[in-house]
Amino acid sequence: MKFSARSALRGLILVLLLLATEPARTEYLRIQLRVYGLDCEICARGVSASIGRLAGVEGVKISLESGMLDIALARRNNLKLSDLRRRVRENGFRPREATVTAVGRFNGSRFEVLGVGESYDLGGRAPQSPAPGPVEVTFNVR
Amino acid sequence: MMPGDPETEVLAAWRFHHSLTGIGTRNESTVYMGTSVSTQLPPRADGPALRRAPGFYMAAATGHISRRYYVWAGAGYERYASLGVDHPSNSLLGSLVLGWRPAFLNKEYPGADCRFFWETTGENVDSAWRSAAAPAGAGHHGVPAPLPAANSSGIIVLPNTGGRGVYSGPTFLYTHRNVALQIGALLAAWRDPNGIQPSERFRAVVVVSYFFLGGRK
Repeated sequence: MKFSARSALRGLILVLLLLATEPARTEYLRIQLRVYGLDCEICARGVSASIGRLAGVEGVKISLESGMLDIALARRNNLKLSDLRRRVRENGFRPREATVTAVGRFNGSRFEVLGVGESYDLGGRAPQSPAPGPVEVTFNVR
Repeated sequence: MMPGDPETEVLAAWRFHHSLTGIGTRNESTVYMGTSVSTQLPPRADGPALRRAPGFYMAAATGHISRRYYVWAGAGYERYASLGVDHPSNSLLGSLVLGWRPAFLNKEYPGADCRFFWETTGENVDSAWRSAAAPAGAGHHGVPAPLPAANSSGIIVLPNTGGRGVYSGPTFLYTHRNVALQIGALLAAWRDPNGIQPSERFRAVVVVSYFFLGGRK
């Protein structure tokens, strides 16, 4: 009995240590970003290759007609929306509005994406009595 | 811009202005600087062919780009150095390019991309000159034709060099994956050569490009 209690305590400490050492992460799952200036296949291919090199990016689809980048992200990635926008600018194009699917928590009307500090005021879209845990939300970002 | 004489050139470009105005739309301006060496020197009847000399090139182009239409206008000047006794012709170029991507070729990424262009280039080419101190030599007929007298600076402006002209014609551009193929021809719309020169009815260009798109790390 004494042995089991000690094992349980060791297990608990191990779990706490793992949680404490878990790297900060954001939880964007999908970002659809409109981009100005993409006119040809070579431009799209360059942007796709460049964004595909960002850690956490699982796939990039591009529509030249709508100027839309559709980026699928791995769970527990570290990518920020601001990193993605910067990468688009570095390639010579202009990021515009985005539709984002992310996991996070509500703090009043603000939705805080899990991990390192990007949050968005969702105004009337925020629930009156938000769930205590993380929730998955899709919203538009200007 | 399609130059007249064959040459090898090294070119650097700086896109100093671009404004991204909409989906698939932008305006941009670029300056080019480079150096070149002629790879084919035409034979002369009045002496040996001109010696090779490096040329220095500067140009600027500005344009509007969209998913359907393209418009570019540019101008450039190429000036040759005087190495030894010969000085090849300096030239001033102006160019207007209109581009069109027809709706039936307006494929979504990652499909192949095809565009048509119409380029019109005007050029003003100075006469070449040779120092009066240059050693005489046989022309390509074996017997040198008489040269005009040197001016007070000891320079002989070579006859039958330089002139003006306007060339115009279509270009087709195909890109797929990392490769681009460009095929075009410019037809002589108007020519005013100095003296007597070989007829230049058209210029043709075939360009194959490979884009290294590893992406920014």
